[in-house]
Amino acid sequence: MKISMALMVLILLATPLSGCLEQDAVVDECTVLPPGHDDDGTLRILTYDITALSEQVTDEFTNQTGIPVEMIKVDDAGGILDQMMLTKAAQQADLMIGLDNTYLPTAIENCLLQPHTTSAANLSASASVFYDGPLAVPFDQGDVCLNYDEDALSEANMSVPTHLSNLTEEEWKGKVAFPSPVSSSPGRAFLIASMEYFSHQSEGDAMAWWSAMIDNEAIITSGWTEAYETHYTGGYGEYTEGYIGDAWMTVSYCHSPGVEAYYSGNYTHSTSLMLDHAHFHQVEYTGIINGAAQAEGAQLFMDYLLSEEINVNMPENNLMYSVLEGYDLPETDGYRYHADVPDVVTTMSYEEINTNMDTWLESWKSATQQS
Amino acid sequence: MVGILEIGHSAIMRGSQTMRQTPRLTVRFILIFAYLTLASLPFILALVRLQVVTGHTPIEALWRFGDVYGASEALVFTLVEASASALLTVIIGLPIAWHLGRHEWRADTWYRALFAVPFVMPAIVAAMGFLLLIDDEGMLFALGIDLRTETGLIGELAERTGWQHPGHFIALVFAHAWFNLSLMIRFVEPTLARLDPAWEEQLGLLRQGQTRIGRIRHLWWPVVGPAVLCAASLSFLFSFTSFALVKWLTPFNNTLESLMAKSGGSAGIENYRVDTSEIVMSASIVQCLILLAALYLTATLQQRHSSRFSLISESGARATRGPPNWKGRLIVYSGIVFALAPMGAALLASFRVRHGAIGSGISYQWSSAGWSAAWSGDLATMGIGEALSHSLLYAVCTLCIALPTGWLLASTILALELQNRPKLAKALDVATLLPLAVSAVMVGLGVLLGILKWMPSLFQWDLLPVLPHVILTVPFVVRVMLPAMRAVEPKWDEQATVLNLSPIRSWYHGYFSFVRGPAVVASSLTVAFSMGEFGASWLLVRAGSWDTLSVVVDQLMSRPKFDPLVQPAAMAAASVLMLVTFVLFFLAERFRPEGDGGGF
Repeated sequence: MKISMALMVLILLATPLSGCLEQDAVVDECTVLPPGHDDDGTLRILTYDITALSEQVTDEFTNQTGIPVEMIKVDDAGGILDQMMLTKAAQQADLMIGLDNTYLPTAIENCLLQPHTTSAANLSASASVFYDGPLAVPFDQGDVCLNYDEDALSEANMSVPTHLSNLTEEEWKGKVAFPSPVSSSPGRAFLIASMEYFSHQSEGDAMAWWSAMIDNEAIITSGWTEAYETHYTGGYGEYTEGYIGDAWMTVSYCHSPGVEAYYSGNYTHSTSLMLDHAHFHQVEYTGIINGAAQAEGAQLFMDYLLSEEINVNMPENNLMYSVLEGYDLPETDGYRYHADVPDVVTTMSYEEINTNMDTWLESWKSATQQS
Repeated sequence: MVGILEIGHSAIMRGSQTMRQTPRLTVRFILIFAYLTLASLPFILALVRLQVVTGHTPIEALWRFGDVYGASEALVFTLVEASASALLTVIIGLPIAWHLGRHEWRADTWYRALFAVPFVMPAIVAAMGFLLLIDDEGMLFALGIDLRTETGLIGELAERTGWQHPGHFIALVFAHAWFNLSLMIRFVEPTLARLDPAWEEQLGLLRQGQTRIGRIRHLWWPVVGPAVLCAASLSFLFSFTSFALVKWLTPFNNTLESLMAKSGGSAGIENYRVDTSEIVMSASIVQCLILLAALYLTATLQQRHSSRFSLISESGARATRGPPNWKGRLIVYSGIVFALAPMGAALLASFRVRHGAIGSGISYQWSSAGWSAAWSGDLATMGIGEALSHSLLYAVCTLCIALPTGWLLASTILALELQNRPKLAKALDVATLLPLAVSAVMVGLGVLLGILKWMPSLFQWDLLPVLPHVILTVPFVVRVMLPAMRAVEPKWDEQATVLNLSPIRSWYHGYFSFVRGPAVVASSLTVAFSMGEFGASWLLVRAGSWDTLSVVVDQLMSRPKFDPLVQPAAMAAASVLMLVTFVLFFLAERFRPEGDGGGF
């Protein structure tokens, strides 16, 4: 019996299995694909856990259009891309909401989106500078940068860093938490920020800096939540379960201190590290999935999401900036006051990200593993 | 003594002729083949796809395991935490089982039910409960044991030994011991409760029984040893595949399962993130091999335990030992506090809402606002009423398929044993456990790929998550029903037949009434496990919109908590899940026969 069991396992392990399944159909060109699922009149939206898409918001859409909405939620922006790639041969959703500009090039390159007709006339310049093509339209935006705990620095009599290389010094040992760019979209955004930052410095390079940060015991987490909530001392994390509080600096949005204040009666001891080019302007997009069965409904929802009625509420409902021209964060409870705005705009282009992202990720893994 | 035990067992086996009520063997084997195919197909499909993506055969993937990013560290951590968890389960559970089994307790049914509840509690609820217990406002912290931020005693331990994050490791191991406590109680306590005190007295007269070591060696170990080892091996198994507890309690470490879960989303996609496919492929093969060995050991130990247990059938022995002494009370009551503490903490936290104040930081107030938000779905998750209805619907559907399937498998194993085909019986016994050896991530990925390939329209079928739930719960049904079926005396059936009853009534009175209790227990376990299932639905939910209560809890806990209502709402959802599971298991315990030692 023991021998037969072992044999069975060995056969399973040794058998080349690749011939068992034919390769999935490969789409060579970006033609509009036939529907990947039956059209039962329901609009299926593939998104992450976006708080702006509450039941009231989707119910209002249904009231206006008569189209029922079903949400398919994944973990984050990366999860949306994964899902679309995995179900490429038979897409199960009609509309994607939430791919950011670090993932959008991959989605477009893989023909995962189809053209839309939403008007981009009233979009702010910062929202449309990265991509203004026909396959996706921005719905919210914000800058990713380093946040630090003002109180912790003050108590330790430490000065605010003026260069990213300051973080490799002894006093910052084990006190910076980064979400991994491999598994987190803010982490990915900050990896790009670090590439941009060092491309504007006369010496040093990003990967050497990452390597030095690992040597200086930087904390790498799988996602933003773990970095900000579990490790960062400057945010709301200290009031949640599982808090460790060993990092005085982490990656978040430049306006996160404003969000902290908004929910804490205009009180926060977190602020952003405003170093030129050490930030990344993140834009989140929505687009019709190639293979949608309810392309018409998807188009209507895109228009709805870009309408003033919904989009100007992004700061309260999704903790991000609206993409519409002329709208800023609200002044309520110090939201606008505590939110920092970078002086210098992100220069990293769509083409650069599309060309280099995989290489950067591999280099980052090597740099952080070899240390 | 072992010889006597074996004779006793085979006597029961010889006499048992309960197979008349079961379908013909051919039909039975077709159904079993269908189940085993269904159970193994997702794993094979996932493996095939991963081979296509990575370009490595399973043997090559196994060989490359050491080169895979984070895999070696995860394997070491998994082995260490699973071994430590199994050991701690024995250390905590054995004294409780000892005192519970050797004394007459007025509310012993309630106590046994209380100790059983953690095992069926969704892991995510357990994780939340333990996070609350190690909070800096908790009792442990006040005693200088800071497992969370690792200051004081724990910090000193870390500094002196160079052990990184000992606090988190200790919290995880205790959480696993809490989770597996019922295994020790369920296996050991009935054995002790039914042991005739005369055995002890007689041994005391012999030379071998004069010392404590001698009594352990010649009486306690032969009687209780297989039960302890069986519970320990199952504790190892469940700790090895732990996911939610690891995710929340040890953020610096991964088990193989949590490593796969983090990479699972982008695995299996051609020309994209090949690194994650390599991680999932290598880790799943290594995990499967280790778990197959553990399951084989478990099945062997459980069979040995059943044979020992069948000998010591002096029911009512517990009563002759009288009420518990103060030491027994202290141990059992402490155990009850340990079992209830995480659940109570989660319930309390659902009413505790953070409240901001200008310039002066934060205060807390007691409020039901978290419950309102969770119930109405105001935080853009599904309302807990709807999520609960999904969970219950899936659980009932899972039960309707898993119970008959598990019943069929268990009765077939017994039939093979009775036909004196022990090797085939053992092979089938181990095969039914196979789904426990396969990562939930692989099951989810395999189901996803299979449906995409053969029937994409199935994604629009609301009951799709039932499929992985069935695969994952059938092994538990078999484990509960098999010992119960083995214990049915053929004379009961013969007596019912003599009464000239109709075939159905004869079957009911002569057979079913004796396995009804275990069937109810198996049903409750199936429903509870289905409701708490997290791993497979975690992946499958990516292809559907059928959030369950456990998924809603995780969604809320994973969300930025700037809004002070997010955390209480998560705890409210967790509390509902906890209360439903709690009620289910109390109902089940009422049907469990006194002295039942079937295992779970």
